[in-house]
Amino acid sequence: MTEQKTDPAYLTSDQVHAGQYEVHPDQKRHSLVARLKAGDRAAAAELVDGYYQQIYLFMRRFGHDRQTAEDLTQESFFNAWHHIGQLRDGKALDSWLYRIAANVSRLYWRRHKHKEVVGIEIIDVSAGTEDGYDRVGRYEQLDELAAAVGRLPVRLRETIVLHYMQQLTIASAAEALGVKEGTFKSRLNRALKALRKDVT
Amino acid sequence: MKEERIEELLGELAPRMIEPVRPGLGQEIKQRIPHRLTRHKIGWDTVNIIIDLRLNRSVAAAVIIVAVLVFLNVFGGRDTSGGLYQDSKLLLRYLGGVGQNDVSTGRKKYEYLQARGENVTWYGDWVNPADSNAVMMQQKLPEGRYVVTYVDGREMEVDSERLIELLSRTMRKKGK
Repeated sequence: MTEQKTDPAYLTSDQVHAGQYEVHPDQKRHSLVARLKAGDRAAAAELVDGYYQQIYLFMRRFGHDRQTAEDLTQESFFNAWHHIGQLRDGKALDSWLYRIAANVSRLYWRRHKHKEVVGIEIIDVSAGTEDGYDRVGRYEQLDELAAAVGRLPVRLRETIVLHYMQQLTIASAAEALGVKEGTFKSRLNRALKALRKDVT
Repeated sequence: MKEERIEELLGELAPRMIEPVRPGLGQEIKQRIPHRLTRHKIGWDTVNIIIDLRLNRSVAAAVIIVAVLVFLNVFGGRDTSGGLYQDSKLLLRYLGGVGQNDVSTGRKKYEYLQARGENVTWYGDWVNPADSNAVMMQQKLPEGRYVVTYVDGREMEVDSERLIELLSRTMRKKGK
């Protein structure tokens, strides 16, 4: 028991926050995964705290409306509890969770083929930093780009959302979609080309 | 527009495409954490594969039922000629495809067995199709045993005395 308590793999967030141990983020993830795999409910709650906003935004950026994004976020976590056996290590935590979320989202689009993509409103953060003309022009350009992303086919759209918006690395994003890195890069390329054509 | 420019704009877009998450969503998700976190390593993958294949539900159900029947017949130590036939007939009847007419279904089995060179006798042409206990067909087995098939598809292995009794009863009912 003593050994288990001192093992960083079994650190709780309270211990980490209390400053008892200086833990690297990767190590913290390893600890979280180890505890999840051991069936620790507190670890599951930590996972929710750490990721639910990201998953919600992923759903929104993917074109789901608010209510659907909330439902799909809940469903993603619900599925995650049933897929804990597939978790490998801390490094794969992000891609594992995004893979589940991407599958949930894809399944939703498949069932609701004709549902409209709902864009998330773009925040105009540059107010006051640029002159009016530049600011409006830039805002319009971003708005146009966001709309063009929404028009992409699901498979291309998910590459853009995962890599550019959720900031996943190529390797993680490819793993999240269950494809090889080469395939992911090729899809990303196609998506960029399509956006280039679509946005003037 | 150049691809580099698109990439630059996409990088700029991400921090602007945000919105506050409804307070309470995290709590709601946490409330749904099961008491025992389970580990489904293979089962759920299989389900997902079936979903991904976009199989029609009835087709998927039929495939699973047939697979189970074949498995049971191969490993269950049953006589596959009769058992599988009976089960398939039940399956087809369940799916509503064929099998409305038991006598005509039985006739097909009779023709099949006859083609295989089995010693079978057909009574289906003169029995009452509404009488489920009427003997529709008999198949001779070695050592004086017989398999009788009733109109409703049931099968029973009997000796010669019992066969005579069953046939007499069928004829008596027909006579009435």
